[in-house]
Amino acid sequence: MTHMLPRLRVWTQRMTGDWMIWSGGIVLAILALLTITLGLNPPASAQTGSLLLRFQPPAPGGYLLGTDQLGRSMLARVLAGAPWSLGIALVATTIALAIGTPIGLIAAWVPGWPRRIIRMLVDTVIAFPSLVIAVTVIALLGRGFWPLAMVLGLATWPIAARVVYAEAMGIMKRDYVRAAVLAGVSGPLVVLAHVLPALRPTLMTMFAFTFADMLIAESALSFLGLGVPLSAPSWGNMLSDSREYMINAPWMLFVPAGAIVLAVVALNLVGDGVTARVRRSGGRA
Amino acid sequence: MTRSRAIGAALGRRGIELLILLFGISTLLFFLLRLSGDPAAVLAGDEADPETVALIAARYGLDQPLGVQYLRYLGSVLTLDFGNSLRSQTDALALVMERLGSTLLMAGLALVVTALVAVPLGAWIGARPDAGSRHAVNGIVFVIQGIPGYIVGLLLIQLFVVELRWLGSIGNAGPLSWILPAVTLASFLAPKMVRVIAANTSEAMAEDYIRTARATGASDWTLLLRHALPNALLGATALIGTQFAFLMSGSLITEVIFAWPGFGALLIASVERLDFPVVQAAVFVIAILVSLVNAVTDVAFSLIDPRLKGATA
Repeated sequence: MTHMLPRLRVWTQRMTGDWMIWSGGIVLAILALLTITLGLNPPASAQTGSLLLRFQPPAPGGYLLGTDQLGRSMLARVLAGAPWSLGIALVATTIALAIGTPIGLIAAWVPGWPRRIIRMLVDTVIAFPSLVIAVTVIALLGRGFWPLAMVLGLATWPIAARVVYAEAMGIMKRDYVRAAVLAGVSGPLVVLAHVLPALRPTLMTMFAFTFADMLIAESALSFLGLGVPLSAPSWGNMLSDSREYMINAPWMLFVPAGAIVLAVVALNLVGDGVTARVRRSGGRA
Repeated sequence: MTRSRAIGAALGRRGIELLILLFGISTLLFFLLRLSGDPAAVLAGDEADPETVALIAARYGLDQPLGVQYLRYLGSVLTLDFGNSLRSQTDALALVMERLGSTLLMAGLALVVTALVAVPLGAWIGARPDAGSRHAVNGIVFVIQGIPGYIVGLLLIQLFVVELRWLGSIGNAGPLSWILPAVTLASFLAPKMVRVIAANTSEAMAEDYIRTARATGASDWTLLLRHALPNALLGATALIGTQFAFLMSGSLITEVIFAWPGFGALLIASVERLDFPVVQAAVFVIAILVSLVNAVTDVAFSLIDPRLKGATA
């Protein structure tokens, strides 16, 4: 398609793709840095506050993002919540891709009953609302960082498997893969040395989008009271807290909502940017 | 493959998927429930003495070996007998079915809102995606897509209920109270839909048959509405099928936010008080509902698709 477009269009497309990756990437890098430095060692005002200073509106001189119902700094709390929210999303995404990628590759490489079983399993799980299973399992296993990350990752791997399967099927039709097979290279080696590297852009895009989905799912579950422990300052818990004080302190809604949206938009930018670059270069990132 | 055979195969596949799903879910729930603690203790409540717990265990067959319990449980699930709600002592399935109408009403309204927003907006962006204003709108849609649906709901409440005081936000109090939950639930799906329809439309506008139609003197409007858009909507129809499960996840949280009397809110409430018969019944109903919607879109898809029209039944 691209060759039919005027040069200018191609150039703006390239710039758009790169611009998206850069802006999203910079935001994510800043978020990651803040999470590692301040998020893991939050100021004391994240957990203790003075009731005299409750519901302080955001002010440049005082509390930059205001205070909550217990007089705790919203800025400190949103930072302290980052390791919870981003950490759970990161672990869940890693689990989903670590399980989904090999299973998708096996389905693509081994025809016959392994492929049929995997496809049926994957289609079945994908067709079910994962949040429904997640709330039930969390209610039984208990709240917490690891249960939540595990449940989200285990509920999401079929999506990764399906994407990897579809993409790998396309890659296996490429000439260099066929040539390797004809030259007698063993199956696992072809998959590891030729198919997997070609999947890199797909995996990058999928990582970004899955990460965004997991962040949303984590905050949704915490918002419902079925996520992280109720005392943890995760972004979903902060949203949940804000509901009682909407009239007094709307910033209690805006601060965690803003943090979630900022991270999700940055991840979507990176994901879409990589997709745009791949489309432009015809398969390589 | 002929059309009727294609439809039959699709329905058969969905049926098998549903059976696997229901079996998997019931097995998962059974063993998780045993894993998480003594169900008899849960049934008896926090203050029960050991004798009561033993009595309840005997009454529900919880003193039998695990394998026997599992088989017996599968048998009751097979006959859709989930038992009574632990809280209200009424039939769990009946409790869920009572709420089915509300959830379907909300899902239907959300789909209508999604279509009303996504079809015109998607077609408009997709007709000439390079025009400056459409680029800007596309950017706005991109950012909105990054706002999780339930945050949209909270922001809507903040704006229309708290600040402007135009609408209420609790429960089902007539059509006016449907607006905010419907828009909230639609926001889970609409941005994705706009982008798919826009992409499909712009792709269709670049196809040969559009160029041919243009050469015969068809106007821009005719090209878009008669030729490109139907094709774009075909892809969007398929999306409704695959996204319905996601919409159900969305309705779970939307119902909680707006205290909407659907089975999503019932499910969350039952999960919180460990009322497992109701949880089980709700999960089953959701699974069957999602399968039905997928089967219906499969059939509708094969009926609408003009490429299958020539096939003889």
